[in-house]
Amino acid sequence: MAIITISRGSLSGGRRVAECLCDRLDCPCLADEVLQNAARKLEVSEGAVRGKFETAPGLWSRLSRERERYVLAVQTALAEACTEGDLVYHGLAGQFLLRGLPAVLRVRLIAPLEMRIGALRAADREMSRQAAEDFIRNVDRDRERRVRSMYGLDVEDPALYDLTVNLRSLSLDAACAAIAEAAAQPAFRIGETERARHQAFAAECRQRLEESLSGD
Amino acid sequence: MAIICICRGSKSGGRRLAECLSARLDYPILGREVLQEAAAALGVPAEMLERKMADRPSLWGRFSSMRRAYVVAVQAALAERAASGNLVYHGLSGGLLMRGAPVVFCVRLIAPMESRVRVVREETGMTAAEARGYIRELDASRSRWVEVMYGEDIMDPALYDLVVNLVSLTVEGGCAVVTRAIQGPEFSVDEDVLARLEDFRLACQVKLALAGDVELRALELDAEAEGGTVVISGEVPLRKSGRTGDRIVELARGVAGVRQIRLRVEWFDPYP
Repeated sequence: MAIITISRGSLSGGRRVAECLCDRLDCPCLADEVLQNAARKLEVSEGAVRGKFETAPGLWSRLSRERERYVLAVQTALAEACTEGDLVYHGLAGQFLLRGLPAVLRVRLIAPLEMRIGALRAADREMSRQAAEDFIRNVDRDRERRVRSMYGLDVEDPALYDLTVNLRSLSLDAACAAIAEAAAQPAFRIGETERARHQAFAAECRQRLEESLSGD
Repeated sequence: MAIICICRGSKSGGRRLAECLSARLDYPILGREVLQEAAAALGVPAEMLERKMADRPSLWGRFSSMRRAYVVAVQAALAERAASGNLVYHGLSGGLLMRGAPVVFCVRLIAPMESRVRVVREETGMTAAEARGYIRELDASRSRWVEVMYGEDIMDPALYDLVVNLVSLTVEGGCAVVTRAIQGPEFSVDEDVLARLEDFRLACQVKLALAGDVELRALELDAEAEGGTVVISGEVPLRKSGRTGDRIVELARGVAGVRQIRLRVEWFDPYP
């Protein structure tokens, strides 16, 4: 069992795979809850926190203290959730927020563009094929820019993940089963040592956030 | 059951993953031996074919008729072994060579540079810098080969069903994950899948017969098969004698299993 982060392009089946994993592994499934906890810590709305994550920072605001504080608040909320044990996180930037932490299985889900267009149009029957494609490409481009700007990394680089799963030929169930198998490997088991590291990481994040909040 | 094609950088544990999968699933395993089988089919020395498959081709190299013949021969040898629907292949370009065939599962294995350097040093006694240079050269060569021959980026994760990073997972862990991934109905082999694999094999044999012919080797001919009927396409020079078309049909008809041939070629005037 493990902490699993799922990164994916929009409409790539991330939520359904995450829910399948949570059912299979009997553990909490988190995404928006982490943003809500972060918003409470910052005493701002969830939308404000999401906005900081979902818009690519300009060159000069990359290192702005405000953005840094928002990221830190989300990282703290996620780190605190990790101290509770196994979980699946399919929210924003999990693979970056928990970088370097042991017993974290980092998964990237990819799906062919046609499949994603189909999913979007199934949700919004009014949308034309071209509009759906444009929407997906725009969201991907924003996400790619944001990650490159904030972390200097390519979100598509498979070296950032333990597993990259392509839903081109794998069903959601097969993807879920394969990820669960990976999570059962010894490298991702949470023992006493890993639990202590997770707790220390959460405490460190909390302290940095407090310092950041008191610095104004 | 599935045809598992493993793609990886050199010294990334691909052979060990293949051996683990073969033992766990009781599938036959195939690696570089496919090159010997291909060389035998073409009647050329195995070393020459191996060199052509490994060397970094120039842009024009793609259009070299012999190089194309080598690739077709390797594809035919691989398709022959894959026809039963279960195989672990850890040689060159499996996913690309088997493109279009059913139940093919493509895995890319990536490993941290440091562990790859360690393996090379243990095997060769090179210094760390030499080993790193050696790996980079091999990676670049493979990458260039795939780019020139197929127009694809070997690092693009979209080419694979699964990319396993050995930074945290072990080879055995990766083996367990792949085994689990192919248990679904999308990789079950029934009569229909076997028939499609046989069609794929037959089409490859026809392409090999055409590529092995001195007169036809220079043409970029493709073949597709369905239930013993083979459709051959490509651009063919128009000659007054009409002999080129006859030759294509004659060679294709000589392939065991071919029942009917349809020529869907585009004729062009070689001397406009």
